[in-house]
Amino acid sequence: MSTSRALRQSFALRAGSTGFLVIWCLIAAFPIVWIAVMSFKSPVDAFASNPIDVLLGPETRAQGKGLTLIDILLGLTLLWASIKMAMNWLPGKVEAFTPKDWLLIGWLVGAGAFALAFLVVFFGILPRVTGGLNALLGLEPIIGVSSEHYIAVWVENAFYRNFLNSLLVTTGVVTVSLTVGTLAGYGLARSGSNIAFWILIIALIFRALPHSVLVAGYLPVFINSAEILRPILGENAPTLYGQPLAVIAVLVSINQPFTIWMLRSFFQNIPAELDEAARVDGCTHFQAFRWVIMPVMWPGVITTGLFSFLLAYNDFLVTSLLLDAQNQTMVPAIAGYFNRETTTTDQVEAVAAAVSITAPLFLLVMIFQRQIVSGLTAGAVKG
Amino acid sequence: MKIRHIAIAGAMSLIGSAGWAACSFENTTTIKSLTAGFEAWKSVTDAMAECGNVEAELDQEFRTKQPAAFATNPSLYQIGGVSNGTVTPLLNEGTIRPLDDLVARYGANLKPNQLIKIDGQTMAVAMMVNTQHLMYRSDIFADLGLEVPSTYDEVLAAAEKIKEAGVVDYPLGGTMKSGWNLAQDFNNMFLGYGGGFVNEDKTPAVNSEAGVKALNMMKALSAYMDPEYLVSDSTYVQQQFQQGKIAMANLWASRAGAMDDAAESQVVGKVETAAAPLAMAGGTPATTLWWDGIVLAKNMSDEEADAAFRVAMEGLDTEMVTGANDQAIWLIEGYQPGRLATGAIATATASPAPLPYPSTTEMGLMHTALGNNLPDFFTGAKSAEEALAAVEAEYLTAAKEAGIVE
Amino acid sequence: MKFKTFAAFVGPSIFLMLVFIAAPLISVFMQSFYLTQPVLQAVEVETCTPGFLTQTCTTEIKNQPILDEAGKVVTRTEFVGLQSYRNVLEPEAAWAAISSGRIGQLLTIDFWKALRFTLTFTLITLPLVIGLGLALALAVNNAAKAIRGQVIFITLLPFIITPVIGALSIRWLFIGDGILTAGLEWWLARDISMFAQGWTIELLMLFYRVWHVAPFAFVVFYAGLQTVNQDTLESAIIDGASRWERLRYVIIPHLMPLIIFISLIHLMDSYRVFEEIVGFSAQAHRISLQWLTYDLLTPDDSGNRSISRASASAMLTMIGIVILLIPLLRRTWADHKGAGH
Repeated sequence: MSTSRALRQSFALRAGSTGFLVIWCLIAAFPIVWIAVMSFKSPVDAFASNPIDVLLGPETRAQGKGLTLIDILLGLTLLWASIKMAMNWLPGKVEAFTPKDWLLIGWLVGAGAFALAFLVVFFGILPRVTGGLNALLGLEPIIGVSSEHYIAVWVENAFYRNFLNSLLVTTGVVTVSLTVGTLAGYGLARSGSNIAFWILIIALIFRALPHSVLVAGYLPVFINSAEILRPILGENAPTLYGQPLAVIAVLVSINQPFTIWMLRSFFQNIPAELDEAARVDGCTHFQAFRWVIMPVMWPGVITTGLFSFLLAYNDFLVTSLLLDAQNQTMVPAIAGYFNRETTTTDQVEAVAAAVSITAPLFLLVMIFQRQIVSGLTAGAVKG
Repeated sequence: MKIRHIAIAGAMSLIGSAGWAACSFENTTTIKSLTAGFEAWKSVTDAMAECGNVEAELDQEFRTKQPAAFATNPSLYQIGGVSNGTVTPLLNEGTIRPLDDLVARYGANLKPNQLIKIDGQTMAVAMMVNTQHLMYRSDIFADLGLEVPSTYDEVLAAAEKIKEAGVVDYPLGGTMKSGWNLAQDFNNMFLGYGGGFVNEDKTPAVNSEAGVKALNMMKALSAYMDPEYLVSDSTYVQQQFQQGKIAMANLWASRAGAMDDAAESQVVGKVETAAAPLAMAGGTPATTLWWDGIVLAKNMSDEEADAAFRVAMEGLDTEMVTGANDQAIWLIEGYQPGRLATGAIATATASPAPLPYPSTTEMGLMHTALGNNLPDFFTGAKSAEEALAAVEAEYLTAAKEAGIVE
Repeated sequence: MKFKTFAAFVGPSIFLMLVFIAAPLISVFMQSFYLTQPVLQAVEVETCTPGFLTQTCTTEIKNQPILDEAGKVVTRTEFVGLQSYRNVLEPEAAWAAISSGRIGQLLTIDFWKALRFTLTFTLITLPLVIGLGLALALAVNNAAKAIRGQVIFITLLPFIITPVIGALSIRWLFIGDGILTAGLEWWLARDISMFAQGWTIELLMLFYRVWHVAPFAFVVFYAGLQTVNQDTLESAIIDGASRWERLRYVIIPHLMPLIIFISLIHLMDSYRVFEEIVGFSAQAHRISLQWLTYDLLTPDDSGNRSISRASASAMLTMIGIVILLIPLLRRTWADHKGAGH
């Protein structure tokens, strides 16, 4: 597109819009950056009312935990390089190495491997390198930083178990939600009947329901499910309470209305001639769906999948009530730090846990950012 | 799935191999417990886990889950952790079992004081007591030449002096977060003024002279508090103490230990405890007594109950108390009251003694109604009488629904 | 598409929604007209509880449920019609307040207080979210290509962060002498307590919601901007349309379906506002409709919960959201008719 004179912007407009973006970015990032800073300090520093104390952490430094200039410089460089890599290099590699139908799996594997490599380099190799350099140059720490809360959370409190549970629940929700949702979305997009319309409207009203009402209704049924189902299933009737599978089913259902609306509008933007042609060639609806539609539907599915992921990963109401301790996911586990009897240390540990669970979300957005925009552009919400 | 199983198996075997030496028997029955999640419970369930095959669930939603989970057959948990408030639904629905024969067989180390008896039957075994009492900064009191207050009028006088001296941000702290905490603060003061919550026929009786006096005293106290007192719970008050922002508060005994925690507190050694102040001369200290303890589910086999009780006894033994002495005011043999336990013991042994928190269905309804309606008095939307009338109206609606009042 | 094929495609989805959404909804609807109580009997009970050294025993008359042979509580269920709705709405007290012209008094009744807050919350955040989202989308679209990626990334952060944690992170900045409150105090040279009065808490909740949701509006609008017809824009420029006129007559109409989409989602989500109330401990000053339902459902220490009143309050919330959605639903209906099937 050639930039004509009229499209060129005046200086005032340019400055105004840049200034606006800068202010917004500060507001958007500040609370999150701030809790990340808090999580590395001793409790006294973390809740100090002077921001300089929180930043520099004098108490933490007094305990002999801190970073030298070299640590900071190397750390920041590495962080910057990884962000660049995740945004520019990784998407290309993933697309090059995975067959088209396996793109979603390819992405998951790629993102996982990248996260693991980052953790090993950042927490395994980097401290050794900088430790050597510091000893060599005789540098003193200038900023108080301590990873004790992270160690307490991940090692002592076995937070990795919650992480694995979250992984199980989110993977389950995304997979089932997309499978069921794409089928329904396709059916709804290709049927102009009144039934399809009313299903959509009812789904919309379901989406508006307050969740606490639904969830409170599940608890007694889930706890007593063995007794309720015994007449039907005999002695093998399961107790649904505490079962990740049951929670997956609940989360999928709660999210179904949004999923089918979203996917329906994606499918509406895929020309109907495409599958009609396949049907003329003798395919059934299912075959047409499998061989003609599936290859071209990925942008929409990835975008919708991301929203399902966010819902399952961030859910608190359903998971806290319906899962027992052995299967607890991360968000309710963090809320557990804030119950009736907590100490300041517990709170900082909760902050550290909160920052840890935000990290995978960071990575996800870094990698999928373009897919979100291009997916939405491809037509999610045009209809 | 597989990785997860391996990880859990690994964690379990770690617990297992470290264990058994400390437990007097090897437990082979799977025992699950559902309790609240504070430090004392952590120590108790860790000690139970040493016997092997114990899965402890420390859950902030236990109040919601416990009644339903114990009502199933077989019960989803064998051991439950309760306090005098939360034992009520289990007692009402008959889902916990009498423990007398088990106590006779395995409870040789229990003190008679620990056995919670309902109509002569032991229904629960208590492990600790908790109460709200006065904590104060002894250094500030010494500097200003103040006496430790024993009544709330003296508390107000001391607060005024501290305010004039300007040594702290706010002379007083209060656990007055709207909802449960605020209602509990009212309960303390109301009982201190000799009030009774319900009449014989279970109709409400809080809109009384004692109720109005209690509210006015709380309002007078709140003038010396952080203006954000309606969002301040016990953790917040504890932090205010630790950061040296307040000089006095009526705070839970279980919070006292945190004052001497060097990693969090800037006032190590400067906080002392004393008996809960009186609201009126000759009355009881304006507070309530609480206990925490264990119950066993009814819906399980006698063999399981046997194993569960033995495991629980391991959790409540002297060895556990020695390792966690300052986490609570333990009732268990071997507890050595520390410096900070003075206030709790003085409160519990006061004469006339403070009442235990009443564990009745009506009290549950009343507590909720108080928590929902009292904030209107403190924000100035209603007078004391209007707020208490609203409490009574909400209580009546709920009591009619529950079938308590016709 | 034949009905059978259609049913096969949508079947699993419908099944899940019926079991996990429609069934609980119907049971909530029924429960709002019935009242289930345990059958009680008055018993004299002696309770002995520990002091520090000795026990205290009290004897009192307690109302205890009767248990049947299987050990279950005997209950009776009766039809109470609209009584639960009356208990929630408190029409007499509300009418007395209105007829005496004391609106302040009306707003001390839980339901009306919650309705007032929920409605203002929804209607104030709606234009803010759309406006901010649109402004961000235009600004990012204007920005140099090189920095767009980073800006989009930062912008999306408030949206993806776990809501409970997002709310807490903002709460920590302001509660007590949180650093932003301390900063404000220093700047304005006066004592500020953000959590001491209702309107400041309400302000914080509004801010949090806009901060959290505007990025979603942004990313949808930004995607929409990528599909603006360049030819139309060019011809508008040739016709001498100013930047403002192009925005007003070309871009906004193009984005209209998206604006409606965002409004729909936002109306539904903010009408069931809940996390903010808990995250900012606003209960003393501000409550919302979903919080009211949640509070009625949460058992107290004695295990009581007001199922009937909670069901009634949930149904009233439902009715409210349907009323709010009607204008948008009518438009969808018109589109469906217009699509000519």
